[in-house]
Amino acid sequence: MDRRQQAGREGEEIAARYLEHLGWSVIERNWRHGRDGEIDIVARQPEPAPGGALVICEVKTRRGMGFGSPLEAITVAKVRTLKRLAGAWLAEHPGHWAVVRIDAIGVLVRPGQEPDITHERDVTR
Amino acid sequence: MNLARAKSIALIGMEATIVEIEAWIGPGLPRTVIVGLPDTALYESRDRCKAAVASTGLAWPGQVVTINLTPATLPKAGSHYDLGIAAAVLAAHRIVSPVLLEDLVILGELGLDGRVHAVRGVLPALICAYRRGITRAVVPASQMREAGLVEGMTVSPVASLADLIALLNGDPTPPVSAAPPEAPEPSAIGDDLSDVIGLRTEKWALEVAAAGRHHLYFHGPPGVGKTLLASRLPTILPDLTVSEALEVASIHSLLEPAAITGLPVRPPYSDPHHTISLAALVGGGARIARPGAVSRAHRGVLFLDEAPEFPAKSLDCLRTPLESGEILLGRSETQVVYPARFQLVLAANPCPCGFAATPGASCGCTPMAIRRYAARISGPILDRIDIHQHITPSRLSLTALYHGGEESSSVVAARVAEARDRQSRRYRGLPWQVNAEVPGGHLHNAMPSPQGIDLLEAAVSRGHLTPRGADKVIRVAWSIADLDANDRPEADHLKAALALRSGEPLPRRHHDQRR
Repeated sequence: MDRRQQAGREGEEIAARYLEHLGWSVIERNWRHGRDGEIDIVARQPEPAPGGALVICEVKTRRGMGFGSPLEAITVAKVRTLKRLAGAWLAEHPGHWAVVRIDAIGVLVRPGQEPDITHERDVTR
Repeated sequence: MNLARAKSIALIGMEATIVEIEAWIGPGLPRTVIVGLPDTALYESRDRCKAAVASTGLAWPGQVVTINLTPATLPKAGSHYDLGIAAAVLAAHRIVSPVLLEDLVILGELGLDGRVHAVRGVLPALICAYRRGITRAVVPASQMREAGLVEGMTVSPVASLADLIALLNGDPTPPVSAAPPEAPEPSAIGDDLSDVIGLRTEKWALEVAAAGRHHLYFHGPPGVGKTLLASRLPTILPDLTVSEALEVASIHSLLEPAAITGLPVRPPYSDPHHTISLAALVGGGARIARPGAVSRAHRGVLFLDEAPEFPAKSLDCLRTPLESGEILLGRSETQVVYPARFQLVLAANPCPCGFAATPGASCGCTPMAIRRYAARISGPILDRIDIHQHITPSRLSLTALYHGGEESSSVVAARVAEARDRQSRRYRGLPWQVNAEVPGGHLHNAMPSPQGIDLLEAAVSRGHLTPRGADKVIRVAWSIADLDANDRPEADHLKAALALRSGEPLPRRHHDQRR
């Protein structure tokens, strides 16, 4: 695992903890669907009740602002892929969801500082 | 609230519209869009603003930034919105206070390093903004003097984006952005009328033309001093009045950013080469036309040397501005009106070889060639010219070159200025200031008719003169009378004017008047 992947894992770990801190439950992590790609985190947001919302989370981690903010790295093409992956996940997992949403979480990890989390909800709008 | 507004100006020709720049920061993945009919230079503004904000050490909002320029249907062009866009975004982002952005117009282009660069048209834009009740403006520091010409406008110069942020946050010690030292007025061409030896009649014709702002046509063989004489006209014209100078500065401000360092004093002079394109002569360009040489010469002199070499179409396009003093240019996006009240001076050879009708020279051109050459300047243009002079070679010996004693421009300019004073007293409160611009109705009804007017009537009835031509003779007669400090043209003045009009030798008295 190289430094970049390591940072990515670390960022996903931080994001998962952050979601649990919000009161959400993480259903699955790093779900792969063949060559299409990977969903970083699948989570359930308790509201709106009943049943809550299914949230597909894309986590972007950066170790500095040199290449822009983490969320700037999420392109239109990436959002399209996430939509496709969300469909695939729903097809493979039984159950009904009143709300399905895609969120983006940016994690800025800088040595000696608290990680900086930016959470942008419903990025497909 | 994450919405903020700033104001800038859209300049279409000389007319300005206040443009409101709205910036809204909303949820979503980071991206920035500009809406409201921007052109390419304006769309690139987004990237310049982002870089400038980053170079200033601030963060561009990491969300959806929508920038709207209203009225959205008005096409907007240029780079001068940069500073306003940056201000609106920073205010929406709460980095600067939006309070001071009310009723403040912002003009300036941003460099990637956050410096503010000069833009075109600051003067006409601010004049229009002031008329629309806006009294505060932010301009590039290098254009402080230009903006300062607008009376009543409070102008804040900024050299960088950081300056603007300090200003908007009411920083108690705003950075002093020194305006560049005032450039000295480029000394009115080093030429002087005393460079011209002899040619007393022609010099006097030039003086009359200067006094009443009459159009002038010199023809004669090569080397007799047509160009020399014509290029001295600006040196004997009076200084511009303040309102004229503002008009001149406004046009020149449109042509080049940061060209104006103060109010121009001397009338402009434009002498385009005869290969000039039509668009460069009268103004033109894609989408929105830009001013041409006729507007560059507004309130000054447009000198067309070797006039028959100009394309006939170009010359004929001068007809409308010669009449109305402005030019209307329609292009795909809109039509614009530029002022073009210039004094036309033409110089021409009488034939392709140049020696037709010159005593003592032999012309090798066929009569047809001479006629064709002369016909290149159309009748309607010639009819609009008040003073025609055929210059023949001076009979002075070369020793006269060292004799000196020719009148200098300043002496002649003093007489011209006196004649202009008489005119401005006579035309006080009227929309025209010089004899050449007096409309026919006023000339006939409100001013005393010159003595010996029957002379003109005879010329008209014999068909030597058109009615418009007769009016022009009367106007020139007034200018001659003004130079002679007479309250009303005498018969002699009228005779001299008639001779100037037809390009004939002058009657005795005026020939001898100047030694």
